[in-house]
Amino acid sequence: MKLTRRNFLAWAGLSAVGAVACDVFGEDRRELKVQSPVMQPEDLVKGTDNWYATLCRQCPTNEGIVVRVMEGRAKKIQGNPDYPVNLGKQAARCDAGLQALYHPDRLAGPMKRTGSKGSGEFTEITWDQGLDDLKTALGTHGDGLLIITEPVRAHSAMITDKFAKAFNGTHLGFEAFDQGVYRTAVKSVFGQDTLPDFDIGSSNYLLSFGADFLSTWISPTRWSIGYGAFRDSSNGGHRGTHVHIDPRFSMTASNADKWLPVAPGVEGHLALSIAHVIISEGLQADGVDIDALTSGRGVAALTDYSPERVGPMLNLHEGILNGHSGADLIKELAREFASHTPALAIGGDSSSAYSNGLFNAEAIYALNYLVGSVGNQVAFSPESPLSDLPSTANVGGLADWSENISNIENGKTRLVMVHNADPVYGLPESSGMSAALSRDSVFVVSFSSFIDDTTVMADLILPDRNYLEDWGSDIPEPGPGHQVIGIQQPVVNPLSELDPRSFGDVLLAIGQELGKESDLPWVSVKQALRETSDSLYDMNKGSVSGATKDLYWNSMLRNGGWWDSSSSPVSVQAPAGILNDIASRGSEAKFSGEGFHLIPFLHNTLLDGRNAHLPWAQSAPDPITSVAWQTWVEINEKQMENLGIREGDVVSVTSNAGRITAPAYPNPGMPPDIVGVPLGQGHKNGPDYATIGDSRDSSNIIDILSAVRVDGTRSIAWASNKVQVQPTGDSVRVTKLEGEYESREIGNIIDNNPGEEIIKTTSGEEGH
Amino acid sequence: MKLGVNILPLALVGLVVTIIVAFLIYVLATSWFSNAPFGLADAPPQPIPFPHTVHAGSVEQGGAGIQCEFCHRNVTKGASATVPAVENCLFCHKQINAENDTGETTANVAQIQRVVDKYHDDNPINWERVHRLPDHARFVHEAHIRFLTQGESRIVTLPMGDEKPQQLPLSIGEACSVCHGNVAEMTEVQPQEGQSLKMGTCLDCHRQTNASTDCTICHK
Repeated sequence: MKLTRRNFLAWAGLSAVGAVACDVFGEDRRELKVQSPVMQPEDLVKGTDNWYATLCRQCPTNEGIVVRVMEGRAKKIQGNPDYPVNLGKQAARCDAGLQALYHPDRLAGPMKRTGSKGSGEFTEITWDQGLDDLKTALGTHGDGLLIITEPVRAHSAMITDKFAKAFNGTHLGFEAFDQGVYRTAVKSVFGQDTLPDFDIGSSNYLLSFGADFLSTWISPTRWSIGYGAFRDSSNGGHRGTHVHIDPRFSMTASNADKWLPVAPGVEGHLALSIAHVIISEGLQADGVDIDALTSGRGVAALTDYSPERVGPMLNLHEGILNGHSGADLIKELAREFASHTPALAIGGDSSSAYSNGLFNAEAIYALNYLVGSVGNQVAFSPESPLSDLPSTANVGGLADWSENISNIENGKTRLVMVHNADPVYGLPESSGMSAALSRDSVFVVSFSSFIDDTTVMADLILPDRNYLEDWGSDIPEPGPGHQVIGIQQPVVNPLSELDPRSFGDVLLAIGQELGKESDLPWVSVKQALRETSDSLYDMNKGSVSGATKDLYWNSMLRNGGWWDSSSSPVSVQAPAGILNDIASRGSEAKFSGEGFHLIPFLHNTLLDGRNAHLPWAQSAPDPITSVAWQTWVEINEKQMENLGIREGDVVSVTSNAGRITAPAYPNPGMPPDIVGVPLGQGHKNGPDYATIGDSRDSSNIIDILSAVRVDGTRSIAWASNKVQVQPTGDSVRVTKLEGEYESREIGNIIDNNPGEEIIKTTSGEEGH
Repeated sequence: MKLGVNILPLALVGLVVTIIVAFLIYVLATSWFSNAPFGLADAPPQPIPFPHTVHAGSVEQGGAGIQCEFCHRNVTKGASATVPAVENCLFCHKQINAENDTGETTANVAQIQRVVDKYHDDNPINWERVHRLPDHARFVHEAHIRFLTQGESRIVTLPMGDEKPQQLPLSIGEACSVCHGNVAEMTEVQPQEGQSLKMGTCLDCHRQTNASTDCTICHK
């Protein structure tokens, strides 16, 4: 056949069709291979996993998480990469949430007290009986009820608030170390009701006072992300400098370039002294109106805080001063702080928990005006787009609890409902909470999933669903500088042997049955969330998109919430004469008791004890001491020698308010006049993991705090105690990861020299 | 007659074409509704011969009597039955190999040694897949094994194999053979007649056992 142009095209076309047909109808042989791996993978998991976005409730930050669910079981919790607060990172506390979900000691269903109050004797009842009992209690003594919850915002706060109001009662959030002082300081310094976000990442210089912000303070995951960027010089950026001022050697102190263990209670004086240097040397940022800040008095407003006066108050060790005076150190610090803009000053934890804590906090935060970082590095998120959703948690302070305790004592409050809070554990014994709740005149209803020191006092237990089984929401505080509403959705159903009911749904159902429909119009929390979704759909802005309301709702659940990054932070005006006002309020810290300054601190994973029932949280070693499962008393090594005690010796720590015992831990980083004790252990009632220790190695430091308030606030001055430390003669082994582990060669039989020591690390040396 | 001259070749051509078309239709129809005829759907030879008769065959017939789920470990746990890791072969072949005289023939020993070598050389084995469902179908071994091996005693006629009524619950091995045939008696595993793993068979079985026939139960 002659190869004409026409023939050529015909053949070409036919070959193409043939090639396509062969490809379509044939199968790639490689797809038909099944490979036997060489080794059986130990973690081989077959099946399909689903990841659902929701919110973590293991700490008050409420980080956005994604949960891996296989065959209806939650397997792994990770940070939600889209959630603006934690951007895909998560605290170790979030991971431990799985153990709260699948804890063997979760309460299966409603229970009623049978023994005397606090005896822990309960009998199982049905939900119908439980809800009837609650309705009866609300009917007969609901007036003036008190609802105590964990710090909640958004829908949980709205529904609980409305419920409490409908029964002429009060709803208060509970935290052992509440942020009332910080909140008051923010209000007076910045004039804002919400807590600020700190852009640590864009700062060049960070001055932190007391706040252990890399471990437990406010929003540690967010601060840690910022801190990473702050320290990162790889992208042409500048590695920021961090100075931490704190009597205790915390995890944050260990990360700082310079740690200044000043005398407890002088933080505010130091901050104003830094301000004194900045103003007197004219180092303030461009455009800062010193006259406005000092009512026209200039440096004269701060005369009492000159470096020469404050320097000696710092009581710094000579090794730190290095031949210079305290005044020199303050001047150098002030010059560095003012010249390395953008600079940021933050403070919290112990610095705001002395009797003069409010003054300290105000003085520290006012420094930000002088370096021009307010509105830049210190930003306030705009208000929630939906005004009926509370964006701050209403947390009670010691004064609020005292008032409510007297209300219980004098019969004004005869019904107390407790949800995810343990005030009996978290308030000092001297507050009288335990005694008040054990009165017969008050009916206590607990919605806890576990027995704890408060739940054991309950007359009725109506176990709530775990947060991974329940609906909810959050408006993060501090927000990321723009509007955010996080959505919590159930990612799994409760196990078949458990019969918990959602706290929010129970409140709504009971409220409606008792004729409070006008206050509580929703059938369920889910319905309230759906209404929010529909309102946001109508606003037509933010991160979520969807053609219909249903699609919009689905998209919002898939993303883990709604946020509008186009909304800009609130602009802040410095209150006139703020530095002048703060300086005039300056006072020195007063301490009760004698001996060592006691600085309690939140445990890295147990926090204020709320996670003590989770073995993962218990076994996570403390970042500084590496101790797990125990309470410990951190004391300076030399002081321990003076007292004649060694590591593990059980010491008694005695304050004006009481005495606890715990093993001593020598910490060379501890100043000689300070002892540090973590919160978290010493539960009297609860699951095994929370109560496993005895009084020698598991104590609740809150028990011995004096019920003293920070001046000008309603919060407890938890760092204002001095304590006596004495050996008890008893000793326990400190469960820790570092030091004194001997590694030996196993059985060197040939030269008959078994167990020759090859590596030995002891405390003081670095183990590898 | 002019017509008579032309009709014979035409008829022959027609006959041949008809036979070819009929044959093609037969092959296509059989392939569509059941397994392709003439071994067209058979898997190619395996890279290392694996006689299931020797491994899974009953002890009376000279086999080792190993249960299906010993090697196909995930079959009672998840969607895929999975083929075992080479490591698992060595559970036995650490002993049964060229170094020890266990009465194997020279040819067998050579094949066993290939498996042992694969293990030591860190070399996976690429088996040829015999049973395969299309990508748009989802099949979970675990659910089917659970249905056939657990629950109360009942008699069900399963439209597979010889279609005899079966007394449930079955043993796991019997449950496997409902779809795969009696693999323990196959020297070389291939798709079995009457056990086609086509959608019709799935549906028949689901209907007879009152299992759901909702599309999304199987289709992705």
